[in-house]
Amino acid sequence: MQGFALYPFDPPGDIAALRADLRRWLADNQPRGDVVARANCWASFDPDFSRALGAAGYIGMTLPARYGGGDRHPLERYVVIEELLAAGAPVGAHWIADRQTGPLILRYGSEDQRQRYLPGIAAGELYACIGLSEPGAGSDLAAVRTTARETAEGWRINGQKIWTTGAHFSHIMLALVRSEEDSERNAGLSQLLIDLDTPGITVHPIIDMAGHHDFNEVFFDDVLVPNGALVGERGQGWKQVTAELGLERSGPERYLSSHALLVALVDAAGPDPDGEMATLIGELAAEMWTLRQLSMSTAAKLAAGDDPMVEASVVKELGNAFEQDMPRRVQAIVDCGWDDPDDLAKLLRALLVASPSFSLRGGTREVIRGIIARGLGLR
Amino acid sequence: MSAARDMLCATARAVFADAATAGMGPIEGAGFGLLLVAEDQDGFGGDWGDVNAVLQIAGVMVPDLAVAELIAGQALQPAATVSLMAGAMGQALALSIEHVNMRQQFGRPLGKFQAVQQSLAVMACEVRAVEAAAAALAARLDAVNLDPLAADFEIAAAKLRANRAVGVVTAIAHQVHGAIGFTKDYDLHRVTIPLMRWRGAHGNDTYWAQRLGRQAAGFGGRGLWAMMTERSDVHRRAE
Repeated sequence: MQGFALYPFDPPGDIAALRADLRRWLADNQPRGDVVARANCWASFDPDFSRALGAAGYIGMTLPARYGGGDRHPLERYVVIEELLAAGAPVGAHWIADRQTGPLILRYGSEDQRQRYLPGIAAGELYACIGLSEPGAGSDLAAVRTTARETAEGWRINGQKIWTTGAHFSHIMLALVRSEEDSERNAGLSQLLIDLDTPGITVHPIIDMAGHHDFNEVFFDDVLVPNGALVGERGQGWKQVTAELGLERSGPERYLSSHALLVALVDAAGPDPDGEMATLIGELAAEMWTLRQLSMSTAAKLAAGDDPMVEASVVKELGNAFEQDMPRRVQAIVDCGWDDPDDLAKLLRALLVASPSFSLRGGTREVIRGIIARGLGLR
Repeated sequence: MSAARDMLCATARAVFADAATAGMGPIEGAGFGLLLVAEDQDGFGGDWGDVNAVLQIAGVMVPDLAVAELIAGQALQPAATVSLMAGAMGQALALSIEHVNMRQQFGRPLGKFQAVQQSLAVMACEVRAVEAAAAALAARLDAVNLDPLAADFEIAAAKLRANRAVGVVTAIAHQVHGAIGFTKDYDLHRVTIPLMRWRGAHGNDTYWAQRLGRQAAGFGGRGLWAMMTERSDVHRRAE
């Protein structure tokens, strides 16, 4: 990890124009919902918005045109994503499908899978969830025990996934399963693409401490899916999932999902804030600017075909700390009641309650720091 | 990095090695004062990317010499200090990694203990953040022909971010080194004491935070993002 350099963020085409077009589109397609939906907005589910966004060409941007995609450069997609997040757009319905399932199907999937799923993903109509965690396999993902056995009719799946975000509205799950009998740890795992309306699948809601229904338990009771459900190479699931996590951890959502609070804070402070308020805004702005540089550099490294696992972990670690710190520091200096009806108070309350999850989802802080330590040559 | 910058860095390492005992003489003699002077005025014709690279090396090898003052004018000293700090922090991290991989206690290297690994991961994040800030500031300065006013936001953000990293980086570097890192003989203080000094030089945390905060407040909530993206889109066009 020594000798870190910024990868130049150099997308093709006129980026300022791409930004301006999207801002105009967002102004014309103001999402529903109150200000709280703009915070942590990649968990805000709005299928009408997703469909309109897909129709405008802002989903599946990097997929080939023959699968309904936009044939755009990954860094053009990055610009679109950071604009959507900064605006607090409700991108939760299609978020996972667009960010990781689509690219993974394109990279590892069969031609049949590509034709079947990618056009719906690009249209903002087909939603995906990720079946990784299990009751006994959280941070220790290699402890996955859900089994898939190959039979003449197809793969027969038994087991349970948990903490599955969006399973209740998703059409498909990309699941990590143990396909090889008597295999241990990260060997013998495969990825299966499962249609969630297949008989034998039960989805139970888990309500989080904010009262939201984001994640679920998913039970598989002798579920039969076709042989063609295998994604990529049998037994190579661990390698494929690891690559997928690079996509999951490096994006601008790791520092921009609370941007609505910074916007509200700056507006509440007015053009001439006192010293204490100016200091807080200045420190938050400096951190956000720095995180943006790190995130853009990581995206550029990923787009260049290099593995940014360590850099992505740095973005996630610093981004999580920034987003957890911000509501605490705002509360420390802004005098507002827990139930006050103004935007700043509502956002503050929502993010204080939501923020413990930031350093859990997508890999806990401790796991992420362990990955960075390995990158330093310490393990 | 370009071949020309690689050569510049190799020269800087050799010259700074002499300067570590001989003082500024070798640095002045090698012409580092001409780094930013245009080629048609018999200078090196370098950009701030070159300055950033050279000053990161200076921050490690000759942190007590006035290399930044030799290369750049007064208005660019805050930016120059960010580069010195990035270099010194990278060295503090390198020394720490080397030490915990070598030093054994309880029958294994310190680096095998999770508590030590987690501390160094925190430190590495801070160092990467400052390196990224220094590089992004360099890109901005080069896009606006080294006009410090046109890079005022980036100078403030980068110096503030570097200042805020100092406490974490120096504290963890010393903690994982144990007593040896507190001795005069061991090299760690050669970078940690300058880091402590640079935090207060050319604008401490409050100075830059209030300046940046007032600037950001002037843009308004939505305007802050619009401004930030506009500035980086502009320097991409300029590249």
